Amino acid sequence: MTLSTKEAGMHPGQGGHVVAPGRRRRKWVRYSPWTFYLFVSPWVIGFLALTVVPLLFALLMSFTNFDGLTDTWHWVGLHNYQRALQDDLFWTSIVRTLLFTGVAVPLSIAGGLGLALLLNQRIRGVGIFRTLFYLPSVVPVVATALMFRMAFDRDLGFVNLIIEFFHGHDIFWLSDPMAFWVLIMVMLWGLGGGMVIFLAGLQGIPTELHEAAALDGANAFHKFRAITLPLLSPVLFFQMVVSMIFTLQTFIQPFLLVEGQGSASGLTDTSNVPRGNYLYMVHVAAQYFSFQRYGYGSALLWILFALILLVTLLIFRTSAFWVYYEVDRDKSA
Amino acid sequence: MIQQHAASRVTARQRKEVLSRGLIYLSLLILVLVFIAPLLWDGLMALKSQPELTAFPVHVLPEHPEWQNFVLALTYINYGHYALNSFILATLHSVLVTMTSALVGFGFARLQARGKNVLFLVMLSTMMLPAILTVIPTYVIFARIGLINTYWPWVLWGLASTPYLSFLFRQFFSSIPTELEEAAIMDGCSYWRIFWQIFLPLSKPVIATAAILSFTAVWGDFFTPLIFLSGDNTTLSVALANGYADVNGHLLTNVLAAGTIFYIIPVLVLFFFAQRSFVQGIATAGLKG
Repeated sequence: MTLSTKEAGMHPGQGGHVVAPGRRRRKWVRYSPWTFYLFVSPWVIGFLALTVVPLLFALLMSFTNFDGLTDTWHWVGLHNYQRALQDDLFWTSIVRTLLFTGVAVPLSIAGGLGLALLLNQRIRGVGIFRTLFYLPSVVPVVATALMFRMAFDRDLGFVNLIIEFFHGHDIFWLSDPMAFWVLIMVMLWGLGGGMVIFLAGLQGIPTELHEAAALDGANAFHKFRAITLPLLSPVLFFQMVVSMIFTLQTFIQPFLLVEGQGSASGLTDTSNVPRGNYLYMVHVAAQYFSFQRYGYGSALLWILFALILLVTLLIFRTSAFWVYYEVDRDKSA
Repeated sequence: MIQQHAASRVTARQRKEVLSRGLIYLSLLILVLVFIAPLLWDGLMALKSQPELTAFPVHVLPEHPEWQNFVLALTYINYGHYALNSFILATLHSVLVTMTSALVGFGFARLQARGKNVLFLVMLSTMMLPAILTVIPTYVIFARIGLINTYWPWVLWGLASTPYLSFLFRQFFSSIPTELEEAAIMDGCSYWRIFWQIFLPLSKPVIATAAILSFTAVWGDFFTPLIFLSGDNTTLSVALANGYADVNGHLLTNVLAAGTIFYIIPVLVLFFFAQRSFVQGIATAGLKG
């Protein structure tokens, strides 16, 4: 019996160059550990230079009144963080972002799961349906925002056209209070991404389980509740964490989904953004790009970082209660 | 008698099945229509003339298709120029990041060294790190060292590999039988040559997946080119969002609709030809993360 390098890799701390006497390790595993470091060096160097350094740089900036232009900055200690606590827009934007995430993520996960269940059956043309539902999630963000702007425009959009057809009154979709819900719909439009992941997960569930349950007289709901849901829960969990982190950073769409005939502006003008879509990252972008408050903006970024870490930790903590892992699932990632 | 009874029960079940199947189809069709509606509406808008666009009551279908809008979309802004910028940037980044991610993935899949497991865990957890946190500080740093309005940031990001694509390669390389590399090492092959001459040729599907995913990511990116590039150097995504306004700043909605179609066509074509890649890319991360 030979130990493959892969299996040997399961024992932490056992470098490839260490050949314990008496072990039937072949000579060919002898190579310098530097080979490994050399191969992974793009990521290690890139991670340090392009992730760790910018993050620490932001942390440093957050303790200054740097404006990005002049060199006359000085240290202000925790002033920027105290300022955040007294900033009304900070609080409203953070509450709104949490609300937005709290509505958009469960809806898109439920929708994605529902579609996956529908499309996991043996029906004709299932491939075409899957393709069509997945399609929107590959459409670039700018195109999505522009198309939703046209679809929900008060005068030009088809949504109001349908409402008029049923003799309803035109709705100002892209202004408060509806703009928030249009933004939610933009998010839901991309739920095909989750659907694909759930479909792959559903296909990993052994059919014997469902067959056995059917023999015992379980109906579709029972089977879903007792078999599908627990076995899919790791996938649901992963998707929840990822889409939550993704949704908390939303901010391009609010700038592009604006009412009226004007062209979409850059990130310097937040006056067009409806209050309902003034999300946390919109507030951050405004600090950097409209007010040149680099110090304050950086403090806000670090608060977001801490917030995301906190929420992720919370979800991981609760996962023990509702995520089902098979006992023998300890194969590394 | 008993048989007859059984037979009628079967037909009842079949009838129920046909009915539920019909319901499934109906709901799927309605849902598809809802999902595709924004795309269809964009297509209809692109064919309307300016007076027809604002006609009241609204025309659903354009009476005289205005194909001129598509020509205008390409000429009103320097469309070819910005499209070329997007293409160059996306290709540059895609080629680099695919190569470096393959290297990193190979390291994690096939080689051993002290600290490997820790490094791998760190890499996996940075997949969760919101990109937005680093982009703006990176912009401030790059502005100080004169990399703004150049394509260097994309080169650097490409050379840095991405955790996500590295993970994709790592998963694939782990599934290749060890006998191949054992034999190669017996023949005195270095790990570099094993990677280059054995593993890479075997991993064409993953290479395609990584290249397509990273290409479409840059092609569709809006925020990064918006802050890092300006003027003629910017990409199509930025030019599209800002370019189609008349002298009074009014949006030329129909021309914009046509321009949007040209912009998403490359992505849709890639998607239809490489559906497997998209699905594989997204499902690998979702299931094995």
